[in-house]
Amino acid sequence: MTEEPYRWLEAIANRREYVGEQLKSGSPVLAASLPDGVILLGVGSGQSKVFELYDRHALAGLGHPADIEKIRQAAIDAAHIEAFTRAPEDVSLRRLVGFGLSPQLKTNFEQIFSAPFLVELLLAELGPEPAQDLFFRLHYDGSFQTQLGGAVLAASQPEPEAAGQKWLKEALQGKTNRGEAAEILLQAWWCVSENKPLTDQIPPEAERKAGWREAAKGKVIEIGWLARQNARAARYQAQTISDLGL
Amino acid sequence: MSHSTPIAGDFLSLLAEHQLASARVDSASGSVVQTQATTVFAFHFAGGVLMAGDRRATAGNVIVTDRVEKIIEIDSTSLLAVAGVPATAFEMARVLQTSFEYYRRSQLQPLSLPARVRALARLLRDNLPMTMQGIGIVVPLFAGVDHAASPPKPQIYFYDPLGAQFQAVGYAASGSGSGTIRSILSFQERYGQPLPSRMNLPEAVRFASRLLSTASEFDSATGGVNPATDTFATIKVLKADGVDTITEEQQKEILRG
Repeated sequence: MTEEPYRWLEAIANRREYVGEQLKSGSPVLAASLPDGVILLGVGSGQSKVFELYDRHALAGLGHPADIEKIRQAAIDAAHIEAFTRAPEDVSLRRLVGFGLSPQLKTNFEQIFSAPFLVELLLAELGPEPAQDLFFRLHYDGSFQTQLGGAVLAASQPEPEAAGQKWLKEALQGKTNRGEAAEILLQAWWCVSENKPLTDQIPPEAERKAGWREAAKGKVIEIGWLARQNARAARYQAQTISDLGL
Repeated sequence: MSHSTPIAGDFLSLLAEHQLASARVDSASGSVVQTQATTVFAFHFAGGVLMAGDRRATAGNVIVTDRVEKIIEIDSTSLLAVAGVPATAFEMARVLQTSFEYYRRSQLQPLSLPARVRALARLLRDNLPMTMQGIGIVVPLFAGVDHAASPPKPQIYFYDPLGAQFQAVGYAASGSGSGTIRSILSFQERYGQPLPSRMNLPEAVRFASRLLSTASEFDSATGGVNPATDTFATIKVLKADGVDTITEEQQKEILRG
């Protein structure tokens, strides 16, 4: 079959369709850069969405837990080997994603006789200043986008993701409090999860606040915090919404 | 991407898989003048475990430096005190730091205290060829928080050069000045007022500084503590909820008081 180029293209297209369909119901994950650090947030069944990778690095993802786990493990392995053979300061998201995860995901996606990874990922690197916080939005096929500072959202569909990211940029403007930022991220999570518009027709704030609380009932809100000012090398802390006063 | 280490969460297995095992010498010939680091000790006090060391490293009768950090924070629940050859000891500390964090992050749970204690024993055993040749000997102390205890409690362990591990009841010391330190600690535990286990933090810091000063009177390889020349010890405190470093400024303040 693969001797015929158009068959291969068709197979790739089928894979995209299959992955898209499998990820459709995935719960979005979000991250934002704040003056004191970087917050990552996901809503799921617990310990399956937001993870520490290395001292200043964290990952949030949606998709099949087993696939997220494989990528998480690969990233942790690569980061620790890099830190041990060189130095912790040499662990960088740019190299981790650009030279490690992305090529492996692309290779896997193009091997049409093996199962594709069902993941959409968001990776964060804490910088010395908020403007140097680095985000990578990594897709199941290995393609990725980078962003310095601001907020990032990873969803299964590109349109709501783009709308959500645009809304977050404005909504988080001037916000410095971690709890306030988490509240806004949860509102964006609810809007994207429930297919609410994140444009001029966005539901009013009271509805958004009530909406995420209702939708999150029976689920676990996972929050990761990369603290900018911390005496210890490992900056990641797992937090709960009650820690943030929500 | 889908590989997993032979032992889940084991960093040394991961290094071996990538053929990156830390450099190991099985045999060596000729004599070298080794840099040595002494003296370290740990004791229980009212606030947890205090671990301290002088800052001198020597090679034969040469003082190499008076700025060595012999008390190393491995992670937020463990401290390592190194006595012996720094080249080997610092590498062991680096392996432990990476191994404990690797396990915690990859397995989503911290390594238990018994496993931490054995991890250091394993490194000492791996160093056996060097130890048997009298090169690269390390005799460390380890302190870790026992989370299986209720409430969690810091514990002290000491080792022999071959990797045997022992839990210390009240205190442990290692290095060339350890004889003096152990004698004083033993005396203080039997007859002293207050007992080390009842000392508060300033009392424990003052006591630790005096222990090192006294040891330095009898052992030229032990750097003393002298506030007049801004010479202080490295002192760290392990509590059930983390590690505190007693800075030189804090030591100066306590010794002045």
